[in-house]
Amino acid sequence: MEAPPVTVMPVTGGTINMMEYLLQGSVLDQSMESLLHRLRGLCDNMEPESFADHELVYLLKGQQGNPFMLRARRSLLHPTAPWHLRYLGQPEVGDKSRHALVRNCVDVAASHSLPEFLNEMGFRMDHEFVAKGQVFRKGAMKVVVSKLLRVLATGNTENTEPLSLSYLVELSVLAPAGQDNVSEDMRSFAEQLKPLVHLEKIDPKRLM
Amino acid sequence: MSQNLAKLAQRIDFDQSSDSEQDGPERESREPWSKPEPEEDEGAVKFQPSLWPWDSVRNNLRGALTEMCVLHDVLSVLKEKKYMALDPVSQDPSVTKTPQVFQLISKKKSLATAAQLLLKGAEKLNKSLAENQEQRRQRDFNSELLRLRSQWKLRKVGDKILGDLSYRSAGSLFPHHGTFEVIKNTDLDLDKKVPDDYCPLSVQIPSDLEGSAYIKVSIQKQSPDIGDLGTVSLFRRQPKAKPASQTWHVKLEAAQNVLLCKEIFAQLSREAVQIKSQIPHIVVKNQIISQPFPGLQLSISLCHSTGEKRSQRASPEKSKPDDHLYVLEHNLHQLIREFHKQTLSSVVMPHPASAPFGHKRLRLAGPMAYDKAEISSLQQSEGLLEKIIKQAKHIFLRSRTARTIDTLASRIEDPQIQAHWSNINDVYESSVKVLITSQGYEQICKSIQLQLNIGVEQIRVVHRDGRVITLSHQEQELQDFLLSQMSQHQVHAVQQLAKVMGWHVLSFSNHVGLGPIESIGNASAITVTSPNGEYTISVRNGPESGCKVLVQFPRSQAKELPKSDVLQDARWTHLRGPYKEVHWSRMEGRNFVYKMELLMAALTPCP
Repeated sequence: MEAPPVTVMPVTGGTINMMEYLLQGSVLDQSMESLLHRLRGLCDNMEPESFADHELVYLLKGQQGNPFMLRARRSLLHPTAPWHLRYLGQPEVGDKSRHALVRNCVDVAASHSLPEFLNEMGFRMDHEFVAKGQVFRKGAMKVVVSKLLRVLATGNTENTEPLSLSYLVELSVLAPAGQDNVSEDMRSFAEQLKPLVHLEKIDPKRLM
Repeated sequence: MSQNLAKLAQRIDFDQSSDSEQDGPERESREPWSKPEPEEDEGAVKFQPSLWPWDSVRNNLRGALTEMCVLHDVLSVLKEKKYMALDPVSQDPSVTKTPQVFQLISKKKSLATAAQLLLKGAEKLNKSLAENQEQRRQRDFNSELLRLRSQWKLRKVGDKILGDLSYRSAGSLFPHHGTFEVIKNTDLDLDKKVPDDYCPLSVQIPSDLEGSAYIKVSIQKQSPDIGDLGTVSLFRRQPKAKPASQTWHVKLEAAQNVLLCKEIFAQLSREAVQIKSQIPHIVVKNQIISQPFPGLQLSISLCHSTGEKRSQRASPEKSKPDDHLYVLEHNLHQLIREFHKQTLSSVVMPHPASAPFGHKRLRLAGPMAYDKAEISSLQQSEGLLEKIIKQAKHIFLRSRTARTIDTLASRIEDPQIQAHWSNINDVYESSVKVLITSQGYEQICKSIQLQLNIGVEQIRVVHRDGRVITLSHQEQELQDFLLSQMSQHQVHAVQQLAKVMGWHVLSFSNHVGLGPIESIGNASAITVTSPNGEYTISVRNGPESGCKVLVQFPRSQAKELPKSDVLQDARWTHLRGPYKEVHWSRMEGRNFVYKMELLMAALTPCP
């Protein structure tokens, strides 16, 4: 039996095509406190929300082209919450003046049988990690400050070690396609965090 | 020569002071030269032959030594300080006259230098104090900026200072930017007097948020002409005389209030257009009109005054300022703030963190395969407009119920209506307890007690005997119901009275099927008989037909009965015979029960 074909058509989720606008940066461990204070002041007035998530990255290797990647993520603090399956497309190569990284995004909530289902479909787990940190929001913008931890034994989320001595800061907005003022708002927000952390668009292809 | 010297030595007077010492010996030396010759003879006589010529000198020296030894002893004793002490003797002031002038002059000089130093220091302090006061009075721009920053969110963009007066950080989703700019006032002329309300900092608010605004909610009778709508612009207070010179916090607060009112009105008008209801809502300019009840009109309008146009177009409704339902305006503000808080609750935050924002229960819709009914039950069903309309309906129904009960109570004296309103209400429900009593007989006749629960569109009545009746919003229904209850009360009162007076109840019916038909409710009737069985009272009371009282006499007292040969025994005359109606209106007594009691008492013969 031949391997199932990997689609090369753009993936759309349902009726609305949602795009994710993303800016990323990092901050060292010792500057974390001041960054949290700053975010607490700039973002909406809520109690700070901590999270601990376990993410698994699945790849479907086809015969040709790039493997198809899906990200499955579950919350370690809320075990009964559904899994979150995410597809992120290629970054849009629009005009260079756009300040944030824009890519197609499909979000699906899934039940707890997701890993088995993906295995049955032919996906293989490429790597996994644990992310712990805090989430802030300002209107539609989401700021996630997370520490990435490497999982030492597959499937065992108790044994983890930090990947680096810094925290990853991500500013993201989920919006329908074609709204350019979103990136303007993101840039002005990133300006306010300027001396503490520099948020910029990082093309994932350049990192490979 | 030695004789001369001896004589001279004799004449040395050791007592004399040293000042005259100089003169003394000279005088002495002059005199002895002149005197020895005449006294030579006398001196020769005065000579003691036993004494040698230096004897007197020696005696004098010895005396001096003694004196010196005494002095030395005294001093040594004094030194011990145990047995003797020295006390200064006041000096003769004339002795030290000349040195005092010097002291005075030197003191004066030193005092003058000290005073000069002190004055210089004081001058410096005065100057710095005056500067501080001047600064404080001018209210430094930076200190004002600090105060502004402690209450409002500010950020620096380029060389401008911008602030945010919107509710976005509190959870609002209104798209207005709400940005104000902070400006430094530098047009102060320091020579002229600083005005009292001068502030070095002023704010520039967006032009569409100027002035003041409020939301007016009112219920009126339906206006006959639909063309009258849309020109509501009433203000309950005069706009301020000089809006430009207001302090920044007043300005900012007013602008924020205008923004909130705009958001409320935008939300209401959006819902008015989108939500399908039986009677559509009308949105005209700054007014939303809907019909809660037939014949009634609820208007919600946004009244915004910019403070420039003083002369308003003469509005004819200015004579009704209490038309405004302030409670509903307050409730609108509270509801929109509730809505803001919901967007900020931690229920919306995603777990895992990469998920989009949204209610956590709604996230389960996919994995748990909810159907449309379950999803719609999770989502907010009622919008702002629906809630406010419901509240307005309830308020109106409640006030109309109160008015109905009050008019009935004032119109009808017998029996009396008492209404006890509950203090604790809901926005959608109130309750009142209605008691129907007769004056003077409250303990006996308390069978009619109604609990009215006033809801949004209906009134639910719970009777004391357990019956539950639902009345609609019509005013007439409640009135008719209360009238029928009042008529029933009279008959119940007779029943209770009979128990007290010892009369026996022969029959009792709440709803008699005989006699003329009442248009409101039903008539009730009761028949009671006296303790000895001779007299019977029959009462029929209807809400419309009033009361009718008949008394049955024993046959012996009836005069119009023909004597018959059939009845031969005398005991048949004790049976009750024909009925006679009582002229109830001519009866003595202030209310029905009192009259009934008198009647019963009159028909009970004294033993």
